[in-house]
Formats: sequence, C-alpha cells, structure tokens
Amino acid sequence: MSSTFSTNRSPPTARSWFELNYRYRIPFWGIAYVLPTVLFFAVFKFGPMLWAIELSFTNYDMVSTPTFIGLENYRGLIADPIFRETLINTLVYIAGSTILITVVGLALALAINTGVPGARYCMTAMFLTNLMPIIAVCLVWRFLLHPYGLVNQLLSPLGFGRINWVTDSATAMPAIIMVTVWRFAPYFMVIFLAGLLAIPQDYYEAAKLDGANVFQRFWHVTLPQLSPTIFFVVVVSALLSARIFLMPYIITRGGPGNSTRVLSMLIYETGFSYLKMGRAAAISVVLFAIMMAFTVLQMRLFRGSEQERFR
Amino acid sequence: MTGRPPAQTWLEWVGPMWRRAIGITFLLALSAVFVVPIAWMTTTSFQSGEKMFQLATEWIPSEWHPENYPNALSRDAFPTYFLNSFVISGVVMIGNVVFGTLAGYGLAKFRFPGDRFVLLVILSTLMLPLEVTLIPTFLVIHQFGWLNSYQGIAGPLLIEAFGIFLMRQSILSIPSDYLEAARIDGAGELRILWQIIVPMCWPALAVLAILSFRDSWDQFLWPLTVVSVDEYRTYPLGMVRFEEDYGNPPTEQMAIAVLATIPVFLLFAVLQRWVNRGFGLSGLK
Repeated sequence: MSSTFSTNRSPPTARSWFELNYRYRIPFWGIAYVLPTVLFFAVFKFGPMLWAIELSFTNYDMVSTPTFIGLENYRGLIADPIFRETLINTLVYIAGSTILITVVGLALALAINTGVPGARYCMTAMFLTNLMPIIAVCLVWRFLLHPYGLVNQLLSPLGFGRINWVTDSATAMPAIIMVTVWRFAPYFMVIFLAGLLAIPQDYYEAAKLDGANVFQRFWHVTLPQLSPTIFFVVVVSALLSARIFLMPYIITRGGPGNSTRVLSMLIYETGFSYLKMGRAAAISVVLFAIMMAFTVLQMRLFRGSEQERFR
Repeated sequence: MTGRPPAQTWLEWVGPMWRRAIGITFLLALSAVFVVPIAWMTTTSFQSGEKMFQLATEWIPSEWHPENYPNALSRDAFPTYFLNSFVISGVVMIGNVVFGTLAGYGLAKFRFPGDRFVLLVILSTLMLPLEVTLIPTFLVIHQFGWLNSYQGIAGPLLIEAFGIFLMRQSILSIPSDYLEAARIDGAGELRILWQIIVPMCWPALAVLAILSFRDSWDQFLWPLTVVSVDEYRTYPLGMVRFEEDYGNPPTEQMAIAVLATIPVFLLFAVLQRWVNRGFGLSGLK
C-alpha cells in the first residue's frame, strides 16, 4: 500500500490523515450497511417476541389493561385437551413433512442428475409447483382430494375404494403432508442438485476403480459428501413446516374434529376470534420454543461451515 | 454446457439406449406428478360448472368457457385485490433485494466490532417468523396506526434473514482484492457496491427477487390479521372469501387461481437465465 501512495505527491500530514481515516472509514461503512437491518429486526422481530413473552404472563384481551397472572396461561394450556392435541398435530406434521420433503427432494435430485437428455426441463417443470401460489395449491388440491376428485379417479383402477381424504381423520393429516411435499420438495430438490453437482467427480472415478457398485458409491461417496446439505434441508424444512397455516386452514379447516389443527391456527383463533391475547401469546412462546430447537441446530451447522471457511 | 459427465448413473447396468429410454420415461412420469395438478387447474378454469365432478376428468374441454375469467373477476373486487397484492409484493421484493444486498455486503466484506454478533442476531430471526410473533406484531402495527394500510401489510415483511444470507454467501465469493483495488483508485464506497458487487451478484439477486416476490405473493395469515376493509384486501383473502361463498362455481375459483399463478411464472421466465446459476446449477445438463 505504501508504494502506491509514495507516488502520490500529497504532503505527509494529509497522507497520514487519509490512512487514519481509511482505518475507521471501512468499519464505519460496514456498520452503515448493516444498521438498517438490525434496527428493523429490533422493531419487527425481537421487540415483538419480548412483548409476546411479557403478554403471555398477563390476561390481556385488547379491551382492559393487562394484569399479571403469572403462569396461569401456561397452566391453562397444559390442562386444555385441544391445545395438547394441536401441539401433537404440529409435531406430527413437522416430522412427517420434514422426513418426506428430504427423502423426496433427494430422490428427485438423483433422478434429475442421471444426465438423461431433457433433465433440465423436467427440473424446471417440477420447480413450477414451488412457484404456484400456496392458496392456489390448496384450492386445487381440495378438489383433487374430493371423494370424486382426480386422486381417487387415478387410484380406483389400482383397487382403492372411494377415500374421503379430507373428511376422514385417519387420512386428513397424511393428505396435508402430501400436499406440502408436493409443493415444497421441488425447492429442496434444487438445493440437493446444487450439492450433488459440487461433489468432485474424481471421488466417483476412484470408487469405480475400486470396484464399488452404484449403491456402494451412493452410500460411501454421495451420502457423506452430501451430509451438510441433508442437514441444512432437514432444518430448513422443519422451520418451514412449523409455520404452516394456510394448508390446514383451507384444505381441512383444522378438521375433522381437531385432527389437523396446528399451533399457528390456534394462535390466530385464540388471539383474534376470542381476543385472548395473553393466552395466544403463551401459545406463541410454545411455537417459538419449537422453532428455537431447530434454529440452534441450524446455528451449529452454520458455525461448522464458517470454521471450514476460515481454516 | 460444460460437458460434465453425470455424477452418478443409476442406470448403468443396462445398455446406453435402454438407459436413456428408461431414464426419460421415469423422469417424465415424475414430472407428471408435479405438472398434472397445474394442468388440471388450467383446464378446469375453462370447463363448464357441471362437468367438474364427472367420473372421468375431461382434459380438453368439449366446450370452452373463457367467460369464467371475466365472470370470476366481476364477482368480487378482484382487480383491486390483485392490484394490492402487486403493490405489496413489489415493495417487499425491492425491500428484500436492497436491504439483503446492503446487509449481506456489510457482513461479507467488512470487519467491525460486533460483526459476529450481528450475524448471529440475523440468523436467530429465522425462529421469529410472523406466525410466531403474530400477536405482538399486530399490536405494534396497531400502535403505529398502520392497520388497513399498505405499510401495515408490507412493513414487517420488508427484510428477511434468508435474503441476507443468500447475498452474503454470494458476495463472499467475490475476491476482496477487487474492492481494495477500487478503493486505491479512489472509488467511493457506494460506487464499489453499485459497480463491482451488484454486477457480480446477478444470479443471487435473481433468486432473491423471485423467492421474495413469491413469499409475499403467498402471504395469507398476516394480511388476514391486519386487514379488515375491502380496499386493502390482497388476492388470497379475496380467494378465501370467494371460496367460502358456496354460490360461486369452482371453475371460477380455478380461473382466479390461474390468474394468481401467472405473475410468479412470468417473473420466473424473465429471471430464469440467472436463477439456475444463482442456485448453483450451472453444471447441470
């Protein structure tokens, strides 16, 4: 750097001023670029979350001033069978859709990656479902899952009877998970494809020379190489499914009974239909705890990848 | 493309001709699972009402009913709803692109006190989506006096951690030497951002643009919470009201669904050149 400035004929005082300025100028710009985002998150993410925790200890109802009632809201939730059922539904939904999204996403990526001509176009076609508005997805699938709808039409030659997908409590949750996978798996297929393309070709060549067959190569090369991607997909799709609202809201209305009601629906109903803001805030804290568990996993993953970068 | 051989061929125990045929058939069948519902939506939107629940789906309507579209649009204030959604999604997309680039750049290429902490703070907002903070965010918007307004719907969606990480990841791969060289040549910081960083990030910007547009175009719970007048309803709220009214024929619901799908597909078509590279798929055949 000094050689660059030695050709500069400015007096030494000005130069040292410039260098001093430079040392502080750069961090200043870094802070300036990040600051709007940090302020935004303080107002719209962290502030509201702290407020939710505070409200969860009150009986706030939008009308009277909130009074502190301690753990009463949480005690009420534990005693409430509808809440317990909803919590279990949410966990079942998260587990089911996360596992299936990961498996289907990976399977689709492997199918695309066979290098068959036209694979690109098939990928684009599959990705379209991910761009279709969720509300349109829900309305279309509500008709497709109708007892006389397309799904049953296609299944009947295989010997299935008329399945009441959304009105039978045994099939309602699987149906919603299926629609979720249909909508989101192609996105993760793209993530998996990027991961597959990043695996060095030499590894496969070496494995082939050692006489490994297709499945051995998948097990010993692809899976270990892909494990950061798999972990990422699991965490992201779990965070995504924990937030689900529209699919059960449109396709099953939370029914039959309570069998597909999820936490976000319960938060909305408790808060805005019954105006029990304190209790709704307590449910939010429960949902937050679920999301936090997955985010901690995500952070561990992130820290690992950062350390690799700086190694 | 790069002439890269397929990473792993599942089908190598059969001859190359058969391998191709089996591979193509298999892929087409898989694609069909994803495309058929979209095709069904489109064909049903042109179908007559009574044909909808026949025992066999009529894939090409024997009688076309394009009037489903104007009929559907005229039943509710759908032109207004779509306009609202366009305004909000456009603003949210621009907000995410602008602030995602700024913050991503700031975190990728600058060292300042607390930079690691800021990274952690932004990462931790992944566990604070609007579904979790619904109640207090509603109260914040209420305090601002923003209920039933564009800023009330778009405000909390304006910056997402996802965009920041996407941009940061993309900017990290730009060599810092370029920035240093530009600084020594006397380029201002904003000029470096605009003339060096942005032109090298088109693929990531395209991905961010399409995904943030889609996400706000999809938003349902948040507008449902802050909007109670027809003037500011977005199209998903309109669609749910339309659907709940049993007098409305399902074919017209599908017509609205098709109309709602078109803008996202169009944006994707426009940006597709960059999107594939943005996802890191440039090696794909």
